[in-house]
Amino acid sequence: MNKIVTMTYHTPEKIYLTAAGLEKFKKEHKGLQKIRNSKIIDQEELIRLNKRIEELELIFKSYELIKVPPKNRQGIVGLGATVVVEIDGQVDEFTIVGTLEVEPSKNKISDKSPVGQALLGKKEGELIEIKTSIIHHKCRIIRINYQNE
Amino acid sequence: MNSIKKFKVNLENLSSRERAIFKKLIRAAELIAGLYLKQKNKKYPGANFYPPNVSIEEIKKAARNNPSILNPYTFVERTKSGELKAIPYHIKFKKELKPISKFLEDAADLSEDKNFSLYLRSRAQSLLDGNYEKSEIIWLKTEPFKFGFVIGPIERYLDKLFFTKCAYQSWVGILDEEETEKAKEIKDIILTGRSKILDKSEKVDVSKVGIRVDKTAVFSGLIADCMFTGTNLPNDVRVMKKYGSKLTIFETSLKEKFDQDHLPIFQAVFDKKLQKRYSQKELYEGSLRCIISHELAHSLIRYRDAEKRLENLFPIFDELYAYILGIQRCGLAFLKGVFSQKELEAILIMHICRNFTWWLDLFKNADVYHYAAGAAIASNFFLQEGAIKIRGGISWPNFTKLFICIEELCKILDYYLAIGKYEEAEIFIKNYGSFDIFKYFSPQLKKFIK
Repeated sequence: MNKIVTMTYHTPEKIYLTAAGLEKFKKEHKGLQKIRNSKIIDQEELIRLNKRIEELELIFKSYELIKVPPKNRQGIVGLGATVVVEIDGQVDEFTIVGTLEVEPSKNKISDKSPVGQALLGKKEGELIEIKTSIIHHKCRIIRINYQNE
Repeated sequence: MNSIKKFKVNLENLSSRERAIFKKLIRAAELIAGLYLKQKNKKYPGANFYPPNVSIEEIKKAARNNPSILNPYTFVERTKSGELKAIPYHIKFKKELKPISKFLEDAADLSEDKNFSLYLRSRAQSLLDGNYEKSEIIWLKTEPFKFGFVIGPIERYLDKLFFTKCAYQSWVGILDEEETEKAKEIKDIILTGRSKILDKSEKVDVSKVGIRVDKTAVFSGLIADCMFTGTNLPNDVRVMKKYGSKLTIFETSLKEKFDQDHLPIFQAVFDKKLQKRYSQKELYEGSLRCIISHELAHSLIRYRDAEKRLENLFPIFDELYAYILGIQRCGLAFLKGVFSQKELEAILIMHICRNFTWWLDLFKNADVYHYAAGAAIASNFFLQEGAIKIRGGISWPNFTKLFICIEELCKILDYYLAIGKYEEAEIFIKNYGSFDIFKYFSPQLKKFIK
């Protein structure tokens, strides 16, 4: 199960983050630094902690903030959009996020997932095809929402 | 067969008090097997709960004047004058139930978890007075306990005539917190999205569906004979709708089933090249996800009148649909990037292996007929649509076609459970339920047939 996506140090890909996601990582970073500076922790824990702090700092260096598109572009699916779709009779709702913010149990799905890839750039009302080598599905975009800043 | 199955579990993390509670629960569970065996009619296996010389029509006729004849918690006997009479379990087995109830009271005295004590006391009382709902509601409403413990007349598979009467069973397990957390994540994914299913299904409040994974120590009664790997209770749709449902995945039972059946069957019936693609861990995860999604799917397909309409055929459709819908939901999770393609393939492969397992289990225990019949329906459907090909075994499943079959079966099974008539359902089973499909594999599977 793709639960947590851990970044590699040499990833050439852009890291897309929502404002909420960025805030979450900043909080985590601050918390970890606090632990590192104030508590006595064993060597193993320190290595783990330093590694995560480095990862987060790398994110801060290379992220690109997902911005809410202008009103006239909000009818198109982009990163950060919450989309209501009908897939083969089933109504579903999810937000498309970058790989670091994926939380399927909270309906945050990756832009790299089959659904994410098929939806990006498509318009409200459009009927699209999600094609993988194992499942083919038709899917209609019912609604697209962006959380305005 | 004494209808008690024990599994090895690690008790190291239990305090001495908890170990004492655990022992009491085990003793209560073991004793319930005796009652289950009394509910069975070994001479006339079809006539469990009912006199051996009775016809379905006679029971229906008697129940018109005396509804307690078809009460889920009564035993039916013939009087000297030849009439049918119903005796509630708690009266018929009063003597045997007293010590069982006492073990529960003792465990409640020992427990420091107030909710668990409350549940145990209520259950102890219900065994003696036949009011099972109250303790069931307490079980559903309270937080997950360290011990997974259920006891009483619960499952209906032993009632071959009406699928109404509940057989005694019990299980005792210890919560596996880590695996429970993983299962909760799957729950949130599988139960999201609203299906456009036919009118009569009950709407499910996802927040009221609980899931736990247990390291089960003991199965007793019906569950020991059927060796379930998961369960979703309560069975009463009315109670489920109001108070939610609780799923238990029996990890120890699943591991044993996987080692003894699922994996060896995979190695016996699938092409050698295909076997190399999947590690044992991937296949085990596939089997685990199969059962988790199956039990979760049960929460989505509760139809208020389906049991009455489909009578003894109901469990065939209900269990099969839960498997198929569970897999369909896993497919949607794959599209959302939750599972990889290989993980989804492992789920499908394990579903096929599970179908064989149910057929093989039928040789040992006729009570799993409903599962085996459902497995035959799915397998025949897959074969007819070219999703599996038989050439000295399954050479290579066509995963794309398998998924088309899954979608198609979802629609068909939904129809029968939502509005289908008994006669239509009977014809469907006649068309697709032949066990002959499994016989093609007899040469490879003969070592499993006991």
